Amino acid sequence: MKKLFYYTALCLVIIAGNSCNKIDNYPAPSSTITGSTIDEGTGNTVQTEIGGGGTRVELLETSYSSNPVPIYFQSMQDGTFNNTKVFAATYKISVQGPFVPIVQTDSTGTVIADSSKTIVLKSTATVNFRVQPFLRIEWVSKPVFNADSSVTVQVKITRGTNNASYQQDITDINLYVSNTQNDNGNNNYDPRYSKLTSYNGSTGTALLGQTITITTTGGALAAQDVYFRVGARINAGLDEYNYSTNDGIKYP
Amino acid sequence: MKRYNYILLTALIVCVTACRKLDIPPKNIIQDPEVFSNSAGIQAYMARLYSELPIEDFRYSPARGLNYFWIISPTPATTGEALSRDQTSSMQENFGGWSWDIWGGSYTVIHDCDYFIQTLPSYASNFTTAQVNAWLGEAYFVRGMTYFGLVKRFGGVPIVNKTLNYVVGTSTDELKVPRSSEKAVWDQVASDFDFAIANLPAVNTDYADGSRANKYVAAAFESRAMLYAGTIAKYNTTTLFDASKNELCGMPASDAAAYFLKSYNAAVMLDGVYSLYLSAWSATDKTAQYQNFVNLFSDAASKENIFVREYQYPNSVHGYDAYNVPRQLIGPNGYSSEVNPTLNFVEMFGGIPKNADGTIQNLDGSGHYNLYTNTMDLFANVEPRLRATVILPGDAFKGENIEIRRGIYTGSSTGGISPLLPAGSRSQYPTTNLVTSSTATQTPYTLPGGALMNPAGLSGIFTGDQTCAISGFSIRKWLNPNLATSQVLENNETQTWIEMRYAEVLLNRAEAAYELYSAGQSGTTDYVTDAYNDINQIRSRAGATLLASPGSMTIDSIRIERRKELAFENKTYWDLKRWRTFAKEQNGTIYRILMPFYSVQAGKYFFDARTDERNDIYTYDPRWYYEQIPGGAISKSTNLIQNPGY
Repeated sequence: MKKLFYYTALCLVIIAGNSCNKIDNYPAPSSTITGSTIDEGTGNTVQTEIGGGGTRVELLETSYSSNPVPIYFQSMQDGTFNNTKVFAATYKISVQGPFVPIVQTDSTGTVIADSSKTIVLKSTATVNFRVQPFLRIEWVSKPVFNADSSVTVQVKITRGTNNASYQQDITDINLYVSNTQNDNGNNNYDPRYSKLTSYNGSTGTALLGQTITITTTGGALAAQDVYFRVGARINAGLDEYNYSTNDGIKYP
Repeated sequence: MKRYNYILLTALIVCVTACRKLDIPPKNIIQDPEVFSNSAGIQAYMARLYSELPIEDFRYSPARGLNYFWIISPTPATTGEALSRDQTSSMQENFGGWSWDIWGGSYTVIHDCDYFIQTLPSYASNFTTAQVNAWLGEAYFVRGMTYFGLVKRFGGVPIVNKTLNYVVGTSTDELKVPRSSEKAVWDQVASDFDFAIANLPAVNTDYADGSRANKYVAAAFESRAMLYAGTIAKYNTTTLFDASKNELCGMPASDAAAYFLKSYNAAVMLDGVYSLYLSAWSATDKTAQYQNFVNLFSDAASKENIFVREYQYPNSVHGYDAYNVPRQLIGPNGYSSEVNPTLNFVEMFGGIPKNADGTIQNLDGSGHYNLYTNTMDLFANVEPRLRATVILPGDAFKGENIEIRRGIYTGSSTGGISPLLPAGSRSQYPTTNLVTSSTATQTPYTLPGGALMNPAGLSGIFTGDQTCAISGFSIRKWLNPNLATSQVLENNETQTWIEMRYAEVLLNRAEAAYELYSAGQSGTTDYVTDAYNDINQIRSRAGATLLASPGSMTIDSIRIERRKELAFENKTYWDLKRWRTFAKEQNGTIYRILMPFYSVQAGKYFFDARTDERNDIYTYDPRWYYEQIPGGAISKSTNLIQNPGY
């Protein structure tokens, strides 16, 4: 009787063990999409902010469906992106951010330009997009500490596109101060010192091409290493900001 | 053997008969005839439809959605009307969280309306034609309200005007209704309301107290909806098209005028039917004007109430007072002061000394603080409506003076007191010469005469504890002055929510008229004069100075009037959205507060105006003008296209 019990138990274990082997699942995604958004005028990457208010990559998995639900991932703030957990498949890829859209429609919904890229992703693909940013923000002089431990910067803002649909007035020019090197922008800044300026009408636009001097607000900065970035935007698309590079400075 | 045959035969007969008798409608499920054959059944059906109406009432907040009891991230703290310790930034509505299924919930209501509309006619013989028409009108009204609730959030949504019947085992493609254009949905809202207006009686015969719709209720909501549609057509800049070129987000600007005209015409329908509440009002008495505006929110007989939501203990309750009473009147649950009006809001009102830029004047010509014997002296001539909306520092409520004080200033007052901080500074107050309190448990300070004074007022401001008037003000509107403190409890209140009152209809009419006027439209009436008269009716009742002339108006004077009149009624959130000014107003914004201090040496009070001490930044993301369609809805119906930027 006891023997019979053990045999039965053994059979059960074997059956159970076998069924466990049959895992009905796909392998984890392991392919990589990497690349950057590049200003076609200067060859530099287009600076952005991290999180929902910055550049993101759109993947349409066309090998799965002719009308797929898009998948998105965010760019880093320097305008590069890297996703190492993507399924191998055929994708139609584009980027969305503070630049002339890759896919443009007119006022009736007709697609008038589409420079999306289609790739067959196997292991790794590098995809670079050449775009026209709404605005270019360049340092004229790097941040310097003043006698009262506030900081002054100088920048020059120019348009990055001649496209007539994206010549709106500049609405904001902001100097962002942050203690975080890789996350400094409209989504994350120190409100005590950052200098935010909004413009009505064409007053902001009149500053295009000129040297703009901005000083931090709120007096002496706290004695920490800080990072500075200037962001500006026009009222186009989702009103995202274009940025200068992020520049750190040692507290004197 | 024969016997067996008989048994078999008997068994067969029994079984077959039994089978027949089993095939009856289930007794535990209420069937259509029970519901649609008598007015009690119809009332039960209506009760559910009305309870699901998407109204942003006492039980709504963007953080937790509709019909949720816990309101500690209140709507006004997302719009700049107020600051709250539990809401510290701009936000979009949180559909994923808590129990709020905006998408599925709305389509359940739309289904229930469709079912009612399809089914009632076959039972019409049980009722009079007038009854049938009125109930159909109500179903269209509820459906229009539900589409309105969807389109103001998402833009174009699927239009489903008949019940979908899924047969198990067949394809689900037919159920995956794609989004219609935004314009089509606004037009659907208009046509549902138009049907309701045409079929509802002037007075609802089932309930005439404003809790069920009548012809004018539908017209009032049509005026609101069409005003939203007109402003979105005019001011929106976000667009989204599907592959068939349906404009899912955005509408042609050329359609704006037609919507404004519909809004205007709907508002005019209420002329002479409803009126502004003036029961306790007097043209010459500011106190009467104040009391009248207070009473407006609790007088069930008010002719201003057009559509209300009633509550009943213990089935349907809220806790508005519990969350919002000033700190010194805290109820047994321990909540208080969730809504603290900002100085930005208070500065919209007249009767306050102001600088040239519209900010409050708290300094004298030489840059020193103005001194006051009582904190209310600064507000001696304030517009009565403000006192009825906001508890100002030192004003009376429930028989107490609501004491709001940031601290005691012990420094010299000789030659005037200079500002504690440089203008525009966002730093903390200096600790020298200031006595403050971190909590409501205070150590009294001995004044020179020997009298004792708490560093902070009884209702704040406490530096380490935000259960107080953190902005220097506390909310007054909707608070029930007759509710005993022991009854200031969550889930205990039944004060009626007024969703639509005549003042809003006048404001809709004024805004639509002014937009028509600015678009160069002219009708049988002079639109700008009409707008001017509407606004002055509101201002006169409020005790504000009247506008000088139609020519002195701008669209901003109409908008600010609307924000003042409808403040803390969960309307400003939608106004800022449809004007597309949310992202401009909340653009790295830190709201302003007004801090009263007592100077020991002067023996008087002074006020410091500054930005929120917590440095909470409000930045509204322009994507939020069109909310994110819940991911679950798209997974189930893959034809749905997500809104831009999500």
